[in-house]
Amino acid sequence: MLIRGGRIIDPASGRDEVSDVLVAGGLVQRIGVRLDAPAGTDVFDASGCLVAPGLIDPHVHLREPGHEHKETIASGTEAAVSGGFTGLCCMPNTSPAIDSPEIVRFVYDRARETGLCRVFLVAAGTLGRHGQQVAEIGLLARAGAVAFSDDGDAIADAGVMLKVLRLVAVTGRVFMQHCQDPTLTRGAAMHAGGVATRLGLGGWPREAEEIIIERDVRLVGASGCRYHVQHISSGGSVEIVRGARARGLPVTAEVTPHHLLLTHDACAAYDTNAKVNPPLREAGDIEAIRRAVSDGVITVLGTDHAPHAPHEKAQDFESAPMGMIGLETAFGLYHEALVRSGAIDEPRLIALLTIEPARLCGLDAQGLGTLREGGPADITVIDPALEWTVTPAELAGKSRNTPFMGRRIRGRAVLTLVDGAVMMRRRGARA
Amino acid sequence: MGPGGDDEPGLLLCGVAPPRRWCAPRWSLRRYTSVMTSVAAPPPMRTQSKRDLLELSGLSGGEIREYLDMARGFVPIANRPDAGRSDLRGRVVANLFFEDSTRTRLSFTLAAHRLGATTVDLAGPGSSASKGESLSDTARVVEAMGVDAIVVRAKSAGAARIIAGAVGCPVVNAGDGRHEHPTQGLLDCLTFAEAMGRLESFDLSGLTLGIVGDIVSSRVARSAIAGMTALGARVVCVGPPTMAPGGLSAIAPGVSVTHDFDAVLPGLDGVMMLRIQFERHGEGPASGAAAGGGGSGLTGSLREFRAFYALTEARAAVLRPGAVIMHPGPVNRGLELDPGAADASASLILRQVSRGVAVRMAVLARLLGQGA
Repeated sequence: MLIRGGRIIDPASGRDEVSDVLVAGGLVQRIGVRLDAPAGTDVFDASGCLVAPGLIDPHVHLREPGHEHKETIASGTEAAVSGGFTGLCCMPNTSPAIDSPEIVRFVYDRARETGLCRVFLVAAGTLGRHGQQVAEIGLLARAGAVAFSDDGDAIADAGVMLKVLRLVAVTGRVFMQHCQDPTLTRGAAMHAGGVATRLGLGGWPREAEEIIIERDVRLVGASGCRYHVQHISSGGSVEIVRGARARGLPVTAEVTPHHLLLTHDACAAYDTNAKVNPPLREAGDIEAIRRAVSDGVITVLGTDHAPHAPHEKAQDFESAPMGMIGLETAFGLYHEALVRSGAIDEPRLIALLTIEPARLCGLDAQGLGTLREGGPADITVIDPALEWTVTPAELAGKSRNTPFMGRRIRGRAVLTLVDGAVMMRRRGARA
Repeated sequence: MGPGGDDEPGLLLCGVAPPRRWCAPRWSLRRYTSVMTSVAAPPPMRTQSKRDLLELSGLSGGEIREYLDMARGFVPIANRPDAGRSDLRGRVVANLFFEDSTRTRLSFTLAAHRLGATTVDLAGPGSSASKGESLSDTARVVEAMGVDAIVVRAKSAGAARIIAGAVGCPVVNAGDGRHEHPTQGLLDCLTFAEAMGRLESFDLSGLTLGIVGDIVSSRVARSAIAGMTALGARVVCVGPPTMAPGGLSAIAPGVSVTHDFDAVLPGLDGVMMLRIQFERHGEGPASGAAAGGGGSGLTGSLREFRAFYALTEARAAVLRPGAVIMHPGPVNRGLELDPGAADASASLILRQVSRGVAVRMAVLARLLGQGA
């Protein structure tokens, strides 16, 4: 395939130029102007488009095994390539949890059989994600776990957390923490603020996130483990991460599209699609988080794609499960929240979606997250001007739980190549 | 509608010839479309615009006055079975009570009967609700049996809104979790206005009502705050910070919060005492806008609570002349309210119960489209 005339942005190499990309044999063969294509080569006109390394999402839930009615690896990776993602890191809160090398191998087998993009597994740090007994971290890493996390819950016990960090440090992997002090969030359904007070719903205060990050930063100092704050939601948390990074600690943080665009007002009519963990907070938090992306404190974007079935989200607000889908709406929403708001430019946005998560999970060692001749041809072509409306029919994944339903979004992937194969080509968008 | 402008999804997924390590060997468009059509979108949520009464928050003073004007007209006949009306003859009101209730259910039943309607009752235990059926499915089933209005009480905040979104008939919220109890709020406004001599205008400006006790757990308090402030009253929330967090002052204009009952007591025109809702404390109610969760007690001890926040006879004696004592019930005598205060001439507690029937008549008559 020849991708002709797009703006090639590869933050890892600093490349930002209008050029052509020739792909063959699963590899990027050449990058250059006015490349000749061998006869019969499929040519994609990318003029006006961004040509980027395949997007990588370090935080998704594909629900397999155990919750296949919400999503499967097949449907989730379908949503991924539709949204321009070529690599996903899947969280271990499946049933059973991904906490043993056998389960890691099983899920990788399923991904090989049914996946449409690259699937990487994040293994649990403790058995069953119960936060008590340390898992076989060394064997899990050897089986292919690219990171560790008990996502869905924090490891609340500081002693267990320190052990896990020490063991993960040896593997060179990163520990990703879901930062939530469970003792401060009993019965919590949404952000502890005015809307919760009016609706009579239990509140999830910022302090529950900040306390865990404060504590963990000390443990990172003691263990030397790379540590990643998942789905940061509080302006106070941003300051803790900023301080830790300033002291040279290996601490990173990610932010979701919804924490960049929505406040707790989205819950005001008990819309369960806006129920998410950590919760949507207030305008000041959004402001602080955008600034942190702008000044390089937050270096990774992750959707926390969390599908739930309609009947589950149709329950009352307190009973409904937390989470929203994100893979297919992510790029346009990030573009709106970060680029069109003036926080960062497009090359930086691409970096946050490619080389940064690749480095976080060690995928750069496989040549992922960058576009270079001889490297794997994971490529995403994005039309930044393409406007679309989020409707159930527009979405490819299995679930529809998004508070962005009906929203007009600008910027969408039009071509997704995984290992040189066209996995998504948006009809009508391009000739 | 895809960007291509046709009805097909604007997406083409292609299989790849040699199966690669990470991807499926084949992937067809047919499979893709079947995935999409197999997913049913949840029905769109209806809002209060249909004829429902889900909350007082958001209603204007004018809208609340319309209910109260109608209720005032029903007061003379509300408690006289021989004076029944036939406004709603042939109509059926379903009481869906997924949570225990005595006075509210009886009150709605009597209100329906006074207007000539019949009632059917469905209570939580033993009903399909305990067999795993969802709220909205249960409501649809009940509606399909041919009822004209649904009165619902449920344990979770927002439940009445879910039911209102699922059915076509009017829905009245009879209490949803810690959210609201709008007919209680209306009867509190009616009773308070009557005692203050504002029965004609329902203009409560210049009056101050203290709401005392476990406010975070209280749907009665949220409805009273919305109703009273919409009619011009000021509301002072009184309790320990775990029960009366500062954030309450932001839920409506004219609301303030204090932790010092004795300091505000002499300036109040009325006090509404609340029961401590121990049964809701396990859910972390204090965490609303307060400093955070915590599953156990919201107060050090009942002795301590009484020392600062009970309406004892001594405190009742400090009330200004003409000030009134209200309580939504059930009263825990000797805890938040001493017997001497509960039975004092200033106490409106039984009148609240009585006005409840008139208010619920007005709500049913109004939502079912019959004038008073």
